[in-house]
This record gives sequence, C-alpha cells and structure tokens, in this order.
Amino acid sequence: MKIIFNVKNMHCGNCAMILETLEDELPGITRISASYHKQQLVVEFEESQLTVDAIIQAARQKGYDLVLNNQY
Amino acid sequence: MITIFTAFITGLTAGGLSCLAVQGGLVASSMASQVEQNIKQGVKGKANLTHPLLLFLFAKLVMHTILGFLLGWLGTILQLTPLSRAILQFAIGIFMIGNALRMLNVHPIFRYFAFEPPAFIRRYIRKRSKNSDQWVTPLVLGAMTVLIPCGITQSMMTLAVAAGNPLFGAALMFAFILGTSPVFFLVAYFTTQLGAKLEKGFSTFVAILLIALGLFSIYTGTNLIALPSPSGIGSTSNNTNLTLNPFTKSEPVQNGATLTLNVENHGYRPNHLVAPANQIITLNLITQNTVSCSRAFVIPALNQQILLPKTGTEVMQIPPQNSGTVMRFSCSMGMYTGDITFN
Repeated sequence: MKIIFNVKNMHCGNCAMILETLEDELPGITRISASYHKQQLVVEFEESQLTVDAIIQAARQKGYDLVLNNQY
Repeated sequence: MITIFTAFITGLTAGGLSCLAVQGGLVASSMASQVEQNIKQGVKGKANLTHPLLLFLFAKLVMHTILGFLLGWLGTILQLTPLSRAILQFAIGIFMIGNALRMLNVHPIFRYFAFEPPAFIRRYIRKRSKNSDQWVTPLVLGAMTVLIPCGITQSMMTLAVAAGNPLFGAALMFAFILGTSPVFFLVAYFTTQLGAKLEKGFSTFVAILLIALGLFSIYTGTNLIALPSPSGIGSTSNNTNLTLNPFTKSEPVQNGATLTLNVENHGYRPNHLVAPANQIITLNLITQNTVSCSRAFVIPALNQQILLPKTGTEVMQIPPQNSGTVMRFSCSMGMYTGDITFN
C-alpha cells in the first residue's frame, strides 16, 4: 500500500530526514520519502505489518501531524 | 614567494573579517536551521550553534584545500570576470532573501530556497548516521564558500596558481583558510549566541539579517556590472568599445591627464576623481602595505580587473570618455567603491 500524507509543522529540510527515520522504527515500510518543499510524506508499506494509524501516531511522537492526502 | 606561514598569518589577521563580510550570509543560513529545530523542540536558552559552525568551517577548509590543489595542478588562473562575479553576487543575494522570506513564512514558494538533498542521499546519510543533527546544511554551505572568495582569498588563489605545484597550492590554501577560521568562528559564534537568547525572536532576527546581507550582496553585484545604483544613477560609461588595452605597465602617455589613486586597506582615496573628457587618462594605482581586497581592482565598464601588488605602483590607461561620464571602480567583490567623473 502506498499513502501520501500532508505534513504539518515541517520547518526545514531536516524535518524530512527526521520523518524518514520512521523507516528504521516501524516494521513493514518498503519505501519512504518526505519533502519539505511539498510538505508531504509518501510511505509504501506492507498492510499485514503496519497500519495507517500507527504511522500517524509515530509521526506525532516526533512532533509532526499527518493528514491523509491520498492512498493507492 | 609567500610562505605557508605567511599565508596563515594573513588569514589570521585580515582574511577572517574579509571572508566573514562576504560569506556572513552563508554562516547565518547554516545556523538558521539549527535555531529553527531548537525552537520546534522547545529547547530553551541558547542554541548549540558550535556544531553547525564547526561543520561549516570544516567544509570550507576541505573545499579550499582541494581548490588549492587543483589550482596548483592546473597552473591556470580561474579568475571570474566582473560580470560573472556580479551574477554570482546577485544569485547569492536572491538566495539569502528567499531564505529569509521562507523563515518568515511569507509564502510556500520560498520553501524552495531551502536545501533538500535528493532522497537517495538522505537515505545514505540516515543509514550512516542515526542521529538527525543539522549537519548537512552547514556542510553544503561551507563548501559553497569556495564560490564566493573575498579579495584576499582570490589573492591566495592566484598565488596557488603561480606556485604550479598541487601540494604547495593545497598547503597554501589550507594554511590561509585555517588562519581565517578563529576570527570567523569567534565573530559568528558570539554574534549568534547573543541572538539565541531571544529564542523564537531569533528566527526573525536571522531572517532580517539575511535580508540585509542579501541586499548588500545585490548592491555589490551592481557595483561590478556598472548598473545604476543608489550611489551613482545613470553613471555607466558610454564609450567602452575602444580597443585600447587599459592595463599596461608602460610609461604614461604624454598627451593625457594623470590621476593618482591610493589603494588602501579600507578603500580608495580619494574615492571620487575628476578627469578631463575626450582624452586618454593615465591612472596610477598606488599600494603601500595593502593587504585587503581593495587590491583586486576592477573597472566594470571596461570589463577589466587587476590584482595589485602589496606595495607598488601599477599604471593603467583609460580610453577617452565623453563629458558627463561617471566611470565607477571597485574591488572585485564590489565592497569598496569609487568613481571618476569626466568633464
């Protein structure tokens, strides 16, 4: 599954790198890419291992609010 | 020939402030993201600005050492023309102002002024370093300083070329940049530490600083291409297509006026000259223990530049100019300026 989130509270390019560390912390993420320019986070993951809510919660703990934009 | 130790002393005494004047905006940019991150994480008190500043200086040192190696190896002068340097100054100015407007959240479009490394590089960095410190931006900006050398740095670059030896060129640039680092660090560090006490207001402070430096960069750019500027509206030469080589060490011509310009560490004296129109002018450029960037003398309207000796006299001939022409001159970065009025 591929999901695009709009991200709030991104202040600089480093925020993108911080968000991308979710790949190291959550199971089942196959690809992750954040963009400060677009204020977006794209996550591809295995539905059997991870839920959308878990991603949102993990991002919130890092100080970022995710809003669902699109999913494929 | 200048020794490596002399290069270090030159950097320590004059190079630091000279470079800081030109590259201060990049330093401020390199620390801005750290300040933003501290604010976001609710860190109170002073921000840790030592880390990004040291990274900035490290990248600067490495890049200039590599540059010194290449200059010594190539043995050719990579001197930018006044026009290309002016374009670079404009670009830097726009970058600084754009970044300031991004920090002030003026419009989302200004986010594109922030560096965002490609995804594969971010991934590589993340895999190599688990901590998420702000180190990419200072490194990139520190490396970028190689693109905007101050006059003294350019002098060293010329010496590195003249050395014709890659290792000597690298050692020369390394020693010089190492010498500039203490002054660079102290001034930048204490300036920003004072600002950090203002916490969130510091973002605004840095943004305003960036705007001021950006405007200054654009202003110096206008000095290099002889565009009208606040100090000389409509002052460009209208007689620049003569083939006479304005720079020569030959004896002054007999049928023209002679002007004398003292090139000093803090600018040109006098910085307003008057010359008769419609005749060749001989300009004597006199240096006396001059070590600042004023030695890199430029007349943009003639598209000519020259690196003056530390002490000595260079003779330059200016083609006949129409009455009313105001010909501007400056150092190679457009910081020190002056003009010649023909009437």
